Amino acid sequence: MTAPAPRKQVKVRFYRLRSRLKEKCSGGNVKAGETGSLAAEALAKAEAEFEKVAEDYPDWVGGYLGALYKEFEAVKPRAADMRLPNFHRINQLAHELKGQGGTFGYPLITTFGKSLYDATVGQCGTTDNHVEILKAHIDAMQAVIKGRVKGEGGEIGAELLKSLQSAIEKYSKAAG
Amino acid sequence: MAQYNLDRLAILLVEDNSYIRSLLHTALKALGIGTVKTAKEGGEAIEFIKLVQSNPVKAGIMSIDMIISNWQMSPVDGSMFLRWVRRHKESTDRFVPFVMLTGYADEDKVAEARDLGVTEMLAKPFSVDTVANKVLQVIERPRQFVHTSNYFGPDRRRQVLPYHGDDRRKLKETDEAVEVVYDSAGA
Repeated sequence: MTAPAPRKQVKVRFYRLRSRLKEKCSGGNVKAGETGSLAAEALAKAEAEFEKVAEDYPDWVGGYLGALYKEFEAVKPRAADMRLPNFHRINQLAHELKGQGGTFGYPLITTFGKSLYDATVGQCGTTDNHVEILKAHIDAMQAVIKGRVKGEGGEIGAELLKSLQSAIEKYSKAAG
Repeated sequence: MAQYNLDRLAILLVEDNSYIRSLLHTALKALGIGTVKTAKEGGEAIEFIKLVQSNPVKAGIMSIDMIISNWQMSPVDGSMFLRWVRRHKESTDRFVPFVMLTGYADEDKVAEARDLGVTEMLAKPFSVDTVANKVLQVIERPRQFVHTSNYFGPDRRRQVLPYHGDDRRKLKETDEAVEVVYDSAGA
């Protein structure tokens, strides 16, 4: 009687499954091995719907800016070594804002949101000078939304960016 | 070029921000996707996936063809949700394409998602075009799945590039320890 063959020890398994999604979406139009596209009319419709929803963005983002301001007000009277949790809540809000602005035609919100995110991440500084840096960001974002500064914002956008950069430079130097 | 018809496609969209969720839902429907179901966070999405399995009539769909999920959510975030989809014994389709929507751009976050088995990353801020291209990419370029002791997900090597260094891969496809699984119609 021969011993049964030892069971092989499989360490890696590759699953090569057929492309069900392509089959499902081809509708007989896109043949195997070919590439297809989405209908131009569907893309235009999606773009139009998107624009319609995006019109409400300035009103809607006001809630985020209000929450940012509330955190800023809460952080001011606290001792510097007690401020980190507020800074981290601001960091979460900044993360949201940097992900939104560009989608809705306000890339400056993304730029300022990213800068605020970087200023509040991890073991960031929490002195009064750092609080001023927070304020400069909040002011800049409020100006963008109040003024409906879309796109890069032309001269106003450039001015806002310059003011924010000078404030960051000034208070970073003062913070040491 | 021939056009796809997406009206049989069912997508589960998971996003905690009601405004972004509504925007994406509108855009996906306008692109022609037949069914877009939504959940507010990973835990709700998991319950919905279980409902699709146990009571598809109540769920309103028979299966989920693609998941688009935000990363930063609470209490169950996108990475925890992805881990459940790929690894949990109660997950009903561990191969389902999973697109992670995220504002995280740093390399270690991208690597984390890749190692959890993400199919594609969709960066915020996004546009209609980037969303449409990502959906198209998932349809057109499925990758083989790889299962090892510490990874289950789409092949992390997207392309075969010429390499002139030493081959440090321990196993070859012809080795006994490697098994290739095809479904009924082959790859």
